[in-house]
Amino acid sequence: MTNFKINFRESSNIQIIDLKGYLDAHTAPDFENAIQKIINNKQYNIIVNCKNLSYISSAGLGVFMAYIEEVRKNKGDIKITNMSSKIYNVFDILGFPLLYEIMNTEEDALKKFTKSI
Amino acid sequence: MNIKLIQRFGKIFYLITGFTLFLIGLILDVIGKNVGPVFAQVDLIKIGAFVAFYLFIQSYWKRESIPLKRLTAILILGTVVLGISLLLAVAIGTEFEFKGSSLIPNNYSTIFISNALAVIIGVAAIIFILLLKDILVYKPRRYTKRNFLILVIGLLAATFSAISLNPYESRLITTILFGIFVVLILINSFRMPWIVFLKKREKVLTIVFTFSILVILTALSIIFQDNSSAGKSILYFSHSLKYFVDGTFLFVLLYSLIAFLSTIFHLPTSDTFDRKMSEVASLHNLSKLVTQVLDFNELVDSVTGMTLQVCEAKSSWLEIIQPAEKLKNLKPEQSGIYVAAQKNISVLDINHINLSSSFTLRSSVINDRKPVMIDDFKNDSRTEQLSNLGSKIGSILAVPLIARNELVGILYATKETEYGFDREDLEVISAFADQAAVAVDNSRLIEKSFERERLMREMNLAQEMQKKLLPQSIPNIEHIELEAFSSPAFEVGGDYYDFMMIDDKRLAIVIGDVSGKGVSAAFYMAEMKGVFQSLCKIYPSPKDFLINANQAISSSIDKRSFISLIYAVLDIETGVVTSARAGHCPFILAKESDVSFIRPNGIGLGMGNSELFAKYIQESQTQLKSGDAVIFFTDGITVAHTKDGDEFGYSRLLEAIKNNRNNSAIDIRDAIILSVNKYMQNQPPHDDITLIILKWLRN
Repeated sequence: MTNFKINFRESSNIQIIDLKGYLDAHTAPDFENAIQKIINNKQYNIIVNCKNLSYISSAGLGVFMAYIEEVRKNKGDIKITNMSSKIYNVFDILGFPLLYEIMNTEEDALKKFTKSI
Repeated sequence: MNIKLIQRFGKIFYLITGFTLFLIGLILDVIGKNVGPVFAQVDLIKIGAFVAFYLFIQSYWKRESIPLKRLTAILILGTVVLGISLLLAVAIGTEFEFKGSSLIPNNYSTIFISNALAVIIGVAAIIFILLLKDILVYKPRRYTKRNFLILVIGLLAATFSAISLNPYESRLITTILFGIFVVLILINSFRMPWIVFLKKREKVLTIVFTFSILVILTALSIIFQDNSSAGKSILYFSHSLKYFVDGTFLFVLLYSLIAFLSTIFHLPTSDTFDRKMSEVASLHNLSKLVTQVLDFNELVDSVTGMTLQVCEAKSSWLEIIQPAEKLKNLKPEQSGIYVAAQKNISVLDINHINLSSSFTLRSSVINDRKPVMIDDFKNDSRTEQLSNLGSKIGSILAVPLIARNELVGILYATKETEYGFDREDLEVISAFADQAAVAVDNSRLIEKSFERERLMREMNLAQEMQKKLLPQSIPNIEHIELEAFSSPAFEVGGDYYDFMMIDDKRLAIVIGDVSGKGVSAAFYMAEMKGVFQSLCKIYPSPKDFLINANQAISSSIDKRSFISLIYAVLDIETGVVTSARAGHCPFILAKESDVSFIRPNGIGLGMGNSELFAKYIQESQTQLKSGDAVIFFTDGITVAHTKDGDEFGYSRLLEAIKNNRNNSAIDIRDAIILSVNKYMQNQPPHDDITLIILKWLRN
């Protein structure tokens, strides 16, 4: 249950984070450290791939909210992709799709980024 | 008259009596200048004078329990007496003629000098005996005092047996009694338990003092021997006094001699003894460490301080290794080891020792968990590169502090000399380090349990607070059934609901979920309650209410946190429900025809900027008919899951409501809870669960 993993990738200067497993109050600090690390390296184009994410709690959602302002101020963005319908529903109820760019696939997000750069 | 006055008068009375008797003796001496004693019992008067002097001295005597101080007093008194005796008897001198076995003074000055010498030497002898008594009864055994009493009785018996004996006569009984007295001296003189407990320095002092006393007493004995000028003076004054004085000198001489010799014999072992004593003292202090575990700084300070004591080290310091669970929170640049306390050495030097090269004492102790001892710091291959510290450090010792198999610290000690530490030092410090490790460990355990206690208390407080924030009663309204249920998953949850009559025909209902748990959740919940109670009457429109609530909450909420909320207003006359949703899970409308979700658009409170919030929020209106039910809930119900992680979900909730739609509000509530519990197979709930059921019964 507490199994949670983060993987980093990079594609043409865009940082991709793969989330896997349970993102809850216990594992949210790990996710937060991951984003902080990227921002510390002055990278602001971030894709969070939720393909293997099986659960997200309010603490997990809070991590996105913690950094979106700073990322956008630096002309970057956090785009969220590959959600299962269950995960999407959690984001959707809270109104995330109105505030964040949520896309079906990672490729879509990459395209969107390269267009804007 | 009060007792004190009588006592004081008594003391003065002794002195006056003494001097009176002494003067009578002097006058009788003057009268009998050319013929010898006027009558045989003149001696009795003179001895009587000394008894009075003794009583006077005794009444002012203060016992002193430190033998070394008494030895000092004996030495000073002996020196003074020797000086006066030399002045009177040798420098001024006395002249006597023999007349049979008697002495006849040649002039009056001889009589006066003899009397003066006698009173000085006699009083001195009395004081000598009193001083020796104090030394002898130090750490008394059963017979110590009795033996000393017998000794004094022996001396007095010899003295009194010689009364009215001519200067150069002898008496068998006196000789025998004096012989017995000498034996008694020997019996008493071997009592010197005080020497063993002296420190080395004190032993050296004792040797010097006793030797000086020996020299001075020998000199006095020579000056006062029977045929000398001074000896003759005393013999002339009283043969009894001569026995008393000789006996006392002998006593002091023998005791000093034996003390001198036994101190010399004890001297070689005194270093060991000193160390054993300080070990005993340190071990005693160690037991105090246990009581110091409440203050960690005090504890580590004591440990280094005591290390200096146990092995007479020059400097000492203690490095503490942070426990593993604390290390997690440390940033990489912070090392898990730090100097907790140091004595007589700078942190700069310590860092220098630890940073130098491939080999450090620290890494060696950490890796091997064994003590490291470097006998020759300057020349040892392991530390020779630190030779710039060689003037301060000759040898160094590092021992691990291990508690419950965990290395909790390293204790260091240094000496200025090479080969300063021996095997015993190592053993003592190791034993000491074990005790210190236990103390450090205990200190940590206590800290941990304090921390846990504090968190528990905080949790209980938040739980109490949360209970008070939820409505204590449900409004009772005609033709409306209203039921609520709320159960936090563990100590403190984030679910919130409330009711309020805006005016006499409108009921406001609010349900929400604060992100996070514990004290912060309770805090935001309290804020939400305040916002609800103050804004619901000002903004009866749910949309306006939420826009303003968002502004109020956004300004104070942490950017990681948010509140999801539904605000609904029921017109209790018309049955119209107006609602708006801020990121909360939709509510359910159960009508006769079907059961459906009502889900107007809206973002959670505190999530985005106010313009976006206002832009996206929608309002929804629903007309209730008699028998319709409205169900508000939090996501604790839909995310309730089985052991395998399968969630209860929306469909099962709809199913449960559909099956119970025609029941009363309380039955619908119980049916939903039962259904959820059954599905979870009695697992403890993962999240807070809150439910509000409203049933409209007006036609």
